[in-house]
Amino acid sequence: MNRAISRIFIVGVILFVALLVNLTWIMAGRAQWFADRPENKRGIAKEMRIKRGDILGFDGSTIAGSVRRSGYYYRDYPQGTLAPQLVGYDSVRYGRSGIEDELNDQLTGQSTDLGVQSWIDRLLGRKPKGASVQLTLVPAVQKEAQKALAGQKGAIVMLDPKTGALIASASAPTYDPANLEDDWARLSNDPGAPLLDRPTQGLYPPGSAFKVVTATSGLDYGKVTPDTKFIDTGTYVVFGGKVTNYGGAVFGPNDFTTALTYSINTTFAKVGNLLGRKRLVSSMQRFGFYQTPPLPLPQGGIVPSGRYGKTGLLSPDDFMDPLAVAWAACGQEQVLSTPLQMALVAAGVANGGRVMKPYYTQQIVAASGGVVQKAQPQQWLVAMKAATAAQLNTMMQRVVNAGTGTAAALEGIQVAGKTGTAERGDGTNLAWFIAFAPAEDPQVAIAVVIEDTQSTGGEAAAPIAAAVIKTALAQPSLP
Amino acid sequence: MSRRNVELLFLVIAGAVSTMAYVSVYAGRFREINRVSIIYGLVFVGIFFLLHLLVRFALPQADPFLLPITALLAAIGLTEIFRIRPALALTQGQWLLVGAGLFVLTVLFVRDHMKLDRYRYIMGAIGLALLVATIVLGTTVNGSKLWIHAFGFSIQPSEFAKLAIVIFLAGYLDDKKVLLSVPTHHVLGVPLPAAKYFGPLLVMWALSLAMLIFMKDFGMALLFMSIFVALMYMATTRIVYVVLGGGLFAAAAAIAVAVVPHVHDRFTTWLDPWPHAATSGYQLLQSLFTIADGGIVGAGFGRGFLLYANRQPVVPDLQTDFIFSAVANEIGLLGAAAVILLFVLFMWRGFRIAVWAPDGFSKLLAAGLAFAFGLQTFIIIGGVTRLIPLTGITLPFVSYGGSSITANLVLVALLLMVSHRTNVVREGTDLERRRLAARG
Repeated sequence: MNRAISRIFIVGVILFVALLVNLTWIMAGRAQWFADRPENKRGIAKEMRIKRGDILGFDGSTIAGSVRRSGYYYRDYPQGTLAPQLVGYDSVRYGRSGIEDELNDQLTGQSTDLGVQSWIDRLLGRKPKGASVQLTLVPAVQKEAQKALAGQKGAIVMLDPKTGALIASASAPTYDPANLEDDWARLSNDPGAPLLDRPTQGLYPPGSAFKVVTATSGLDYGKVTPDTKFIDTGTYVVFGGKVTNYGGAVFGPNDFTTALTYSINTTFAKVGNLLGRKRLVSSMQRFGFYQTPPLPLPQGGIVPSGRYGKTGLLSPDDFMDPLAVAWAACGQEQVLSTPLQMALVAAGVANGGRVMKPYYTQQIVAASGGVVQKAQPQQWLVAMKAATAAQLNTMMQRVVNAGTGTAAALEGIQVAGKTGTAERGDGTNLAWFIAFAPAEDPQVAIAVVIEDTQSTGGEAAAPIAAAVIKTALAQPSLP
Repeated sequence: MSRRNVELLFLVIAGAVSTMAYVSVYAGRFREINRVSIIYGLVFVGIFFLLHLLVRFALPQADPFLLPITALLAAIGLTEIFRIRPALALTQGQWLLVGAGLFVLTVLFVRDHMKLDRYRYIMGAIGLALLVATIVLGTTVNGSKLWIHAFGFSIQPSEFAKLAIVIFLAGYLDDKKVLLSVPTHHVLGVPLPAAKYFGPLLVMWALSLAMLIFMKDFGMALLFMSIFVALMYMATTRIVYVVLGGGLFAAAAAIAVAVVPHVHDRFTTWLDPWPHAATSGYQLLQSLFTIADGGIVGAGFGRGFLLYANRQPVVPDLQTDFIFSAVANEIGLLGAAAVILLFVLFMWRGFRIAVWAPDGFSKLLAAGLAFAFGLQTFIIIGGVTRLIPLTGITLPFVSYGGSSITANLVLVALLLMVSHRTNVVREGTDLERRRLAARG
């Protein structure tokens, strides 16, 4: 009988060993797998018990705050909708986007770099408190940009050319993050794509605004000077095709400065072929084309600019025939750019050729009050020699003073800019204006793009740029 | 050191561990430790100290480990219940008091478990009656019919039926073991005893089938059938009963899966819970998520994420069937493994008592009780960790539930009586032997 009892005991022990093995498998082996299952809402529910840190504007006003309702914290937006595509949303049902996603660890107080207090809190079982994030976005400028885009489709990006700080980032059509969950079905099906952050994710043909890049290349490689003479007959025949001017205009004899002032396609096509594919593409790369700008955003939240084919971004070494180079030099062909990248072009010229790393975080302040991260402007790329930048600065002032961009001129502030009008083939235009001001000591650089318009860049985009620049330069302080 | 002093030492250790767990939860909830919290702690310690004094007086040679293990498990349970629903902890504390009372009554009135052998048929009848009463009078909770509502209480009679049936089977099988182990004929080369001795086997099989179909509960049916098969095997040492019993139960389970929708649901959910994540698989998946979230060491008692902001537990029935998920979440893999080892330790002491016991009835009684205790633990922990299909059964001493804790305290009393008698018979003094004889 004792042997049988022992055997039954052994059976019992085997059952318990099975329990222990299975438990180890669940708790150690597959713990992360269980945590990542979409059915598992523990992570979100846990975080909703944490007071999420505020997202503040550069002036210290709250863009996204935190309110407590029945034990959980929810976002509220005291200033209404302010850069919702960039700031992003935080929803139990639809997840997170934009800065809310990128800085989630800091906003929920879970980041390890939040200091000793956060660690002590966790040790004592206290709920962590989220750190607040102060952005470089200036609400007054942001509001002006959003107002300028109201009722249209397009984007505005404004940077500080000397630091890379993002001053404004507007995308239209827009949405109200406070009603995201109710409006989700409508927003996600809207052909106007209100959830898309056009400044960082919208890819547009840059049109003549791209001529700043071509001019940079021509001047920097010594292929042209501002005074190099050209003759325009209205048509430039190359490689079995031709390049014509916007609206069929004929300019006759012109120098390179005049060509930029009036946006003469034939001259820029010729300069493109004087440079050749390699030098033109190399200048693009030195402005940041062909790579994702280092603005910290979640995967897919920011896209690179450059030449695009059917399969996406092409290699910088992709073959281009002389006709393709000629059109690319005018910002057409297969060149696509985000508004952010075009703002970086303007900023590069404004900052003497040095392109600063774009950023949006002014500082991160832990719940205990300590500053855990502070903006440190860094140089990203060198797009051109300082002398080239000075020449381009002067040439771009001419655009505003006497050329296609006169609508951007401001009383008492010298604006330097370049217009762009990309014809979309369906009778509508894409109107561009990139600029910086004041030209003698640039404080802001801007890119404006308006979709689905009948007007040119000089008519539709330049006045908007002027209005936003005026508001920005009237601010008591900028990042 | 005498057995009772060993017991006292371990009780003090168990008390210290329990106090730390309780204080951790209390401080986590109220951010302070006040007089009320200490009084609750002292009452708990007091109950087990009184039980210790009773054992010291009435069963001085009993096993010294069972009571400290019981105290530790009960403390973990009470702490976790207090952490999930503080109001229920008070009720559970009162049930612990009732259970302790029943423990005292069992020790004082039964004195010697050998007496129970005389009432084996009465015990069998009580066990059967409890189960039949559940089938007839029971109310359905969570799809299973395991409860009787009477006098304002909810009683789970199967917890007590378990004890009665083990007592009956230990007596009956010890008596009939010779008859059951002598083969009288062969079927397909398999030696079988006389057909009339299969009667009890078929009755037990019919009972577990009835439990499956009428109580709609796989766990209790498995528990009763396994108790019976294990005791048959231990009494006769004939493996044929295990094979036959296992086959019969498998057939019954297959029938139940096909016929009883609730059992069918539980079975399919067990095979693949993911398509039913929002419906029938919700509870099981939330349990797995909660356990997986515990990590290696856990956040500590009172520090895990077990309640939503509206104070609803993250797993429905967290304080009863799913208490192990809560424990695993809060004290992690190491803590949960330690709890499982406490159950193994308990089971080991039970089987050890059985092996050392001087007579068949004592052996079968102790082994049957230890086996029932261990298997019930396996069924519920295996259920909430998806090792086996989930069934509504309590985790002994830990789960919230009056029937469970009182019945299991009686189980401890019975094991202590068997071990006391064993130790007295084997190594006791003349005086102790005379006292024992006087009890019979």
